[in-house]
Amino acid sequence: MFNLLAAEKIKLSRSKKLMIVIGIFLLLPIIQVVNTQLNVSNGKELVQAVDTVINGASGILMIDKNGLTILLVISAFISFFIGEEFQNGTIRNALSLGRSRMHYYLSKLATAAIVSLLGVFVLTAMGMISFSIVFGFGSVAEISNYLPYAMKTFSTLYLLILANVSVYVMISFQTKNSGVSMVWCFLYTIATGFLPDIFQQTENFKHVSDWFTETFLFYYDFASIEGLATYPEMNLVSLITILLSSTLGIILFNRTDIK
Amino acid sequence: MSETILKSMNVSKIYGKHKALDKVSIEIKRGMIYGLIGENGAGKSTFMRIIMGLITTDEGKMELFGETDKKGLQHARRRMGQSIETPALYPELTARENLRVQAANGGVSEREIDDLLHLMKLEHTGKKKAKNFSLGMRQRLAIASTLITNPEFLILDEPTNGLDPSGIVEMREIIQRLVNERGITVLLSSHLLDELSQIATHYGILHKGKIIKEISKEDLALETRQYVELETSEVQQAVTVLDELGVKDYEVKSKTEIHIYERLDDVATINRSLVLANLDVSRIGTTRQKLEDYFLQLTGGNRHV
Repeated sequence: MFNLLAAEKIKLSRSKKLMIVIGIFLLLPIIQVVNTQLNVSNGKELVQAVDTVINGASGILMIDKNGLTILLVISAFISFFIGEEFQNGTIRNALSLGRSRMHYYLSKLATAAIVSLLGVFVLTAMGMISFSIVFGFGSVAEISNYLPYAMKTFSTLYLLILANVSVYVMISFQTKNSGVSMVWCFLYTIATGFLPDIFQQTENFKHVSDWFTETFLFYYDFASIEGLATYPEMNLVSLITILLSSTLGIILFNRTDIK
Repeated sequence: MSETILKSMNVSKIYGKHKALDKVSIEIKRGMIYGLIGENGAGKSTFMRIIMGLITTDEGKMELFGETDKKGLQHARRRMGQSIETPALYPELTARENLRVQAANGGVSEREIDDLLHLMKLEHTGKKKAKNFSLGMRQRLAIASTLITNPEFLILDEPTNGLDPSGIVEMREIIQRLVNERGITVLLSSHLLDELSQIATHYGILHKGKIIKEISKEDLALETRQYVELETSEVQQAVTVLDELGVKDYEVKSKTEIHIYERLDDVATINRSLVLANLDVSRIGTTRQKLEDYFLQLTGGNRHV
């Protein structure tokens, strides 16, 4: 497993796609702070519940503000990162050395998780810094103890992203092709992102939506006391999603013929 | 008796209604260069993938380095290297980086990288990415990549595919050198018997998923060797003349045909002696069954080979 991770490190150190992902997460907060500043200059008043990030302190919510963008960028990265191994045939190099398929799968999942963590960390840090420079650090309303809140919020938001990463990894291992994987990942993200909104309108399906991590990511306020109270539920749903998708992914991958 | 490296016992693979492999049984011993010959779609790559554990079998058993259970096979595969179909490389990485990745995959040291780059004549590729390599260079890099883990058994699927004549010769030399210098046992495939005949020590002919013949290099040479074909209506007298000439290695094939396996450069003398003995010689000349013809004869005359 550690050998496989060492191989991933060499590959990623030369990966242009990783540079693009990090580049996007570096630039996005800068573009957003400039855009917000322009809106404020034009007389718009910033409201935390609507704009999510309004100062340096609320910059911890950059994952919440950019949930869909993060998911789409990371899903594209994972689709290439895994799909190309199948398309180039390089997956054979590791597996034919007697490496277990479970270890191979987990090494890819671990790498995708680390890249996602790096990405969202860069995004959050840049968001906090750039919003602090323009709007000051300020505070998050209703939050008295900022540091524990920030740590809890970041880890909860990251776990929600990780749950999706786990699903994308499963999809990529099943489709074995970057393009096809990307389409299915996009469809999954869009469907689980927008279906909860429809389900919320019905009585029978209302609670079903709480089993999608996107429901929390897109429709919950992470700066409110009510939002904070649902963190354990969010973490539970995320962990169950990771566990189920990874187990299913490994079982299916073990049965897959490698061309 | 040398150690058995690979033994497949009635291995079958079925895709839907198509039987890609049908009870394939072969045995490869240490030191062999086993050539697996078959037309496109005969099942060569499928069989190689099964050996490497990339696809599962529907029937039959596989033995690698004496191991037969799942865990044992997985462990045995660490002593093997493969290059199946196209060279499997990371196009964005250099030759050295590609080797570093494979060294990491195998959990081995990077010490041998320089030697391997030198062995495969890739030491001057520097920062050139694998995607910019010629096919020959990519094939060589793929083989270098398989060697980084010091395999005892190498599986090469059509390693000369797409190479120009000089590339084919070079690849043949590389394989020969690996066998001589490193004592590696090799299983390689091709759809050209003629090409394999210059390197392989044993052959398995795979046709429509079945092994239809296994033959050693020596036996193949015997079956396809060059001879003088003599056609005459008086075979008995011709045999007397041949005996008088001191020819010993000949075979009476029919009432009108004799095959002479020696003095191939002396056809004129043989002919003169037969004519002087008043024999009617309707045809005499050296001939050889081409390897392709031999293959076609075995496989039922598929013209693609």
